[in-house]
Amino acid sequence: MPDDDLKQELDAAAQKAGLTIPPERHDAILVSYKDLKRMTALIRQPRAAAAEPSNVYSLVPRR
Amino acid sequence: MASSLHTLSIAEAGARLRAGTLTSTALTRASLERIGALDGGLDSFVLVTTERALADAAAADAELKAGIDKGPMHGIPYGLKDIYDTAAIRTTCHSKLRVDNVPQADSVVAARLKDGGGVLLGKLATHEFAIGGPSFDLPFPPARNPWNRDHIPGGSSSGSGAAVAAGFCRMAMGSDTGGSIRGPAAYCGVVGLKPTYGLVSRRGVFPLSYTLDHCGPLARTVEDCALTMQVITAHDPQDPASADVPVPEFTRGLDWGVHGVKIAVPRHFYAQAEGASPEIIAAIDTAAQTWAKLGATVEEITLPDYDLFNACGRIILNAEAYAIHEQDLQTRPLDYARMTHARLVMGGFLSSADLVQAFRLRRELADALNATLARFDAVITASSLSQAPRFSDYRDGYPVAWPVQTMPFNVTGHPAMSVPTGFSTEGLPLSLQIVGRPFDEPMVLRIGAALERALGLADRWPELAPDAAAKAAAS
Repeated sequence: MPDDDLKQELDAAAQKAGLTIPPERHDAILVSYKDLKRMTALIRQPRAAAAEPSNVYSLVPRR
Repeated sequence: MASSLHTLSIAEAGARLRAGTLTSTALTRASLERIGALDGGLDSFVLVTTERALADAAAADAELKAGIDKGPMHGIPYGLKDIYDTAAIRTTCHSKLRVDNVPQADSVVAARLKDGGGVLLGKLATHEFAIGGPSFDLPFPPARNPWNRDHIPGGSSSGSGAAVAAGFCRMAMGSDTGGSIRGPAAYCGVVGLKPTYGLVSRRGVFPLSYTLDHCGPLARTVEDCALTMQVITAHDPQDPASADVPVPEFTRGLDWGVHGVKIAVPRHFYAQAEGASPEIIAAIDTAAQTWAKLGATVEEITLPDYDLFNACGRIILNAEAYAIHEQDLQTRPLDYARMTHARLVMGGFLSSADLVQAFRLRRELADALNATLARFDAVITASSLSQAPRFSDYRDGYPVAWPVQTMPFNVTGHPAMSVPTGFSTEGLPLSLQIVGRPFDEPMVLRIGAALERALGLADRWPELAPDAAAKAAAS
């Protein structure tokens, strides 16, 4: 994604989250945002619907 | 500064205290004098609790003289990372947002150390909220590496690593969400144990990421980590993650050696990683050969890609940390340091599906590691791909490419301990980490103790410049 598009996407995401990004901090946050997008893509792999998350819990009382 | 009391381990000092050849007051005064003379060049403490320390020490001396023995930390000076709540003692998280925070109650760990007769020397520097650093736009300066103050001591338990390496205390408590105990231990040349998730109570420790946070000790020796664990480990019904499991005898097996122990080495984790230092790789190879000579079976294995573990952990950390800081990030962003702010806001850009996918991956990764540990007693890998970076390697506010390889075992919750393996040609510490089965800390400690004995590194100390000289060199 071109950096200008990525910047617009970040600004929209920040607005949706209710975050104001100070101008002097924007460039650094954009670098982190690019890395975040790489990681969210990386964790999406083929999985069956039955592949449950790690935090499914049990109601059996602990001893 | 003629005293050499700082070289005594917890075990050695404890033996002298019980034999009546040393008092806790003398031990504590020696620590306070050493901090006063040398910490100006390291900034490992954000608060030295002199009066409290001397009162704790006097109480310990009286009790020991009366035949009351509260356990291995009785009369031993220690420090706490400044995210551990301490009743009536400022707990700042190294942040402008909490610089005046004075808790009413102790964290569970602080209370257990107090009940165990320990002597609180003070509160130690951390990266802001255990995530943002090294930063210079905070109420306190960042801690520096005792082996070379131009280099970082690691983080986020930066003061804990520096204080132990400098001989200010034999043990300091840290916390580890993605490597914040093991990283500073690795960079400062000390031992750092991240216990199994849920083994040590997190209550009263400011959270960074609920499902990744662990409390644990940094110490000069493996034995000192084991002794500390004996004091701080207990089921806590008020910590939702606390495991109701029997407390093992952590020192049991430290002198058993590793004959017959099965060790797995996922060499691809670190040897094929970008930026891996040949010195780090060679030191791990040497350690593996050492264990083999001592009778262990060492076998190379493969695990899922390191990047998967790291991405999984980063997404969970970002989401959970953001949930904690959301309101302050929205209303007072400039009160965070640039680096902290840049990291914490990432969670605001994640979707609910991102987090659930990370939790699904987490289960798969934990299953893969458990399958390996069904065949082996432990896994060995790098704590960090390199020696401690320089402060000048960091551009303020920009994301930090930490070379540590610690996040996988926060994701899975397995116990992991960083131990020194030697020194680089620049004289900075090298290390590896030992990962064990859940709640099998005794095996992790046993394997670490065998290597520690074989390498004989615990007697090497950094040469510290007195306060005035260090400041002059920096100016």
